[in-house]
Amino acid sequence: MAMVEKARDDRASWRDAEPKHVAAQGGRGKAMARLIPVAVPAMLLVAALVLPAFMFTGDRRPDVPGLGPAAWPNVVLLLLGVFSSIWLAIEVWGLVKWRVSTSLSAPHDEDVYHYGKALVGIGLVIAFGWLLPYVGFAIACAGFLLIWCLYGGLRNPFVLVLVPTLGTIALLWMFMGLALMPLSRGVGIFDQFSVALLQLLGIY
Amino acid sequence: MQTIDLLFAGFASAFQIGAFLTVVVGLLVGVIAGALPGISFVNAMAMALPFTYAMNVTHAMLFLGGIYVGGVFGGSISAIMINVPGTPASLPATWDGYAMTKKGQVKRALTIAVTASAVGGLASALMLTFLSAPFAKFAMKFSQPEFFAATVLGLVSVIAIAKDKPIITMISLLSGMAIGTVGVDPLYGQARFSFGIPEVESGIRFVVVMIGLFAIGEVVDLVATDRDLRPKKADGKMAGASFRDIWNVKGAIARGTGLGCMIGVIPGAGATPGAVIAYGVEKQINPRGKEFGTGVEAGLAAPEAAKNATTGAAMVPLLTLGIPGSAATAIMLAAMMLQGVNPGPLLFIMDPSMVYTIFAAMIIANVLMIGAGVGVAQMFSTLMRTPPAILAGFIVILSLIGAYGVRNNIFDVHVCLIFGVIGWAMKRVGFPSAPMVLGVILGPLAERYFLTAVANSRQDYTVFFTRPISATILFLALIFVLWSLWPSVRSRIKRQPA
Amino acid sequence: MSYKALLTYALTGASTAALIASAGMASAQDYPQRPIEMVVTFGPGGGADLMGRQMGRLMEKPLGVSIPISNVAGASGNAGLTRLKTDAPDGYTIGTLISLTVASWASGLGDSSVDDFEVLAVVQNSPSFLFVPASSPYQTAEDLFAYAKENPGELTVATSGYGTQDDVTLKLLAKDGVQMENVPFQSPGERYASPIGGHTAVLYEEPGDVAQFLKAEQLKPLVVFSEERHPAFPDVPTSTELGYEISGLDNFRTVAVRAGTDPAIVEKLQSAVEESVASEEWQKFCAETYSCIEPVTGEDAQKMVQDFLQLITDQLAS
Repeated sequence: MAMVEKARDDRASWRDAEPKHVAAQGGRGKAMARLIPVAVPAMLLVAALVLPAFMFTGDRRPDVPGLGPAAWPNVVLLLLGVFSSIWLAIEVWGLVKWRVSTSLSAPHDEDVYHYGKALVGIGLVIAFGWLLPYVGFAIACAGFLLIWCLYGGLRNPFVLVLVPTLGTIALLWMFMGLALMPLSRGVGIFDQFSVALLQLLGIY
Repeated sequence: MQTIDLLFAGFASAFQIGAFLTVVVGLLVGVIAGALPGISFVNAMAMALPFTYAMNVTHAMLFLGGIYVGGVFGGSISAIMINVPGTPASLPATWDGYAMTKKGQVKRALTIAVTASAVGGLASALMLTFLSAPFAKFAMKFSQPEFFAATVLGLVSVIAIAKDKPIITMISLLSGMAIGTVGVDPLYGQARFSFGIPEVESGIRFVVVMIGLFAIGEVVDLVATDRDLRPKKADGKMAGASFRDIWNVKGAIARGTGLGCMIGVIPGAGATPGAVIAYGVEKQINPRGKEFGTGVEAGLAAPEAAKNATTGAAMVPLLTLGIPGSAATAIMLAAMMLQGVNPGPLLFIMDPSMVYTIFAAMIIANVLMIGAGVGVAQMFSTLMRTPPAILAGFIVILSLIGAYGVRNNIFDVHVCLIFGVIGWAMKRVGFPSAPMVLGVILGPLAERYFLTAVANSRQDYTVFFTRPISATILFLALIFVLWSLWPSVRSRIKRQPA
Repeated sequence: MSYKALLTYALTGASTAALIASAGMASAQDYPQRPIEMVVTFGPGGGADLMGRQMGRLMEKPLGVSIPISNVAGASGNAGLTRLKTDAPDGYTIGTLISLTVASWASGLGDSSVDDFEVLAVVQNSPSFLFVPASSPYQTAEDLFAYAKENPGELTVATSGYGTQDDVTLKLLAKDGVQMENVPFQSPGERYASPIGGHTAVLYEEPGDVAQFLKAEQLKPLVVFSEERHPAFPDVPTSTELGYEISGLDNFRTVAVRAGTDPAIVEKLQSAVEESVASEEWQKFCAETYSCIEPVTGEDAQKMVQDFLQLITDQLAS
């Protein structure tokens, strides 16, 4: 176990829901290990109870034949509610008895887990997907690969130049050139740039 | 003996250089596309469709057939190597296949997977050749109640797979089924849970959910754990599976093949439920069933055999009746119709040489798949030598392209990202994600089979129990639940004698 | 930074801008200069997909650029229309607009109206039929309707869904005393397999989608919902002949662009569509799918779509 990592981010501990780990760790991790197995079913229960009210927006056709479009989701959500409350009851009972929950067990095959790094990674992926329709695939892809390489700890300038450029060109050729996929070109000026780039590469 | 003569003629034309190359190219395209995270064989077949315009009908079918056979297997390469299923049907391959990789047995896992897939595929290609007529007749006895019963069997086997935590598995499965209800409903054409946003009316597709839950979450873990995917020196020396290893799992392969052949004929089901049901059944039957999930060969072989066994079986209704049962066979139908050929009973009478060339090609493709699979796996293990950061970056991009390519819709990319975050969080707290994906796949199927069956029997809800085949399947599903839950119930009774 | 370097930067910037500007100036004279995307609003393998692919392939010749297909499926075709509506109105995105999608607007799906699109041409049109399996006890429309009148709701009809033109037709029949149960099948393959396998009594469909079953004589057409007999099925009586006034619910397929596209570009596309429809290949294709028509263009096309929507809306409301 990497002690440094533990000290930096003790939230990591709640992934280990096994008794011995929890017992060995600080109060915050212990609280998380107790809270999460209660919070998850509680959230699902609330969702199952609330969602049926939001199933339809706008006008609905009256008197439809058969069971109607609401029947199946209602049954699914009802069952979800029932099972969530069973789970919640078990967890709350365990909490009262001050027993450690064993219902959720995270993978503990890794010794180190950098939570900060994981969150930055998720942020990068989301930024890529969110920017994609605005700036177009080519720019988003090259930019993402460059930042991702930096984030992954690569500092070799050759790598930082070649991977994004060649990677983007290869992907553009494979998916827009060969497979004829309509990947986003972006909007406005970015659209014009993408078209120019695609013409330059001989894809258009 | 007419069949044999026709088949020999079929082999003769399939071995002509042009036809043979078409199959090989299709197979390679399929395996590579399948192995790329995010790009599924359905994606690959849809992308390949314009290329078939220039071919004759037979070559078009050989090409698409090759992609289909190769792609259904290919998904398991990335499932075994990096724990990211290339297609939903390879989900079970992550359970025991990736566990074997973690033990340093990646070559063994790949060899077992490709052999089991080839055996399953070959058996179903032979079934397609020799038994398609009786099978088609049998398939016509199936209607909506039977499809619903089969879907229930699929849902039940999901619970059987994770029997130690039935409640949480149920919750995950039901969440997936709830996610599957988003969008326009299958019968009434009404938008559900759209919250007034037109894009949401498109609904949430299972492939997109799978890519989000598995690929994105896994990539983030890859960089956050300093995991090194580069093959260690020891792996290089590690031998692949010996003939003995394969022989040891012959039972699992046989059972998987049988189940796959049966399930493949059912429209709408296809490779994923086939693989999952086979895994569930094998876990019950196999003496080492309790160890499944820790890298047991049989736990990899059974679903692998089953998913490829669905390929030939799914083509039975297409070629004999002209009815496509899945997205993959619908694309094949489109390729034929675009060339002015209508599959169906008349095709066997009017152009038997074409039909038998397709049969022969399916057989050849499954045999060649062993070579193609090993070759591509080798190529991928070379790719794994690149630094994990670069590899992870490309997996992200391919995954989002794959999500986009499902319907060429940016909405699917956004859905994929949301499920990426959810999947990552689920993994960190240990909430199982596989049942959720299966819920998204099977939930919408169950809904429309149920509602259409009820409408077709004029609102008679007993139809599921009064039809013999449907009743039998539902009874089997019940037995299956009891059988799989019994050990945990028994141990609980023993522990707390009350 | 030296003056020289600055100059170099300025020049590079200017040339990039010029490149962008030249690509951006899509004047109608030199249209088209790059591939035109054909948005097919349904997945691969269906009637709309076959039409879009065939049309795209044939339009490549008169326009001189490639026309790749992108299947944007979802929400009864409305997802693809969203794409058509949000892409720039520069004529580089064309799409399929079919009757099923227009009918779905009446059920509140999507946020499109006819005015959002400029229909280039209605290129396929086909009335719907009632089909029965070859082994059916009802071999004529009279027999079928007589049985349905005596046993209301006993006969089942496989359709594409509630709230579609299929549903409207059955509702109109029921008003005249012929009451049959609507059984929606979402998947076309299952919709055809069910009557062929003897699980559903009747099938409501356009003949092009079941051509292979008609040729194999597994399905038999009984009645066409139209005022005139279909030239390919001269022996099949019309609903009007049998005393049921049901028409105007034909299945049509059109090619459309976003409203506001330069009229000169629209004209170019329109003539490309007309040229494609006149081609031998298209005529063979539409004959096989029993859907040949003289292409309806301009105001007439727009009106045809609007009238259809009105008819469906009125019938569903009643």
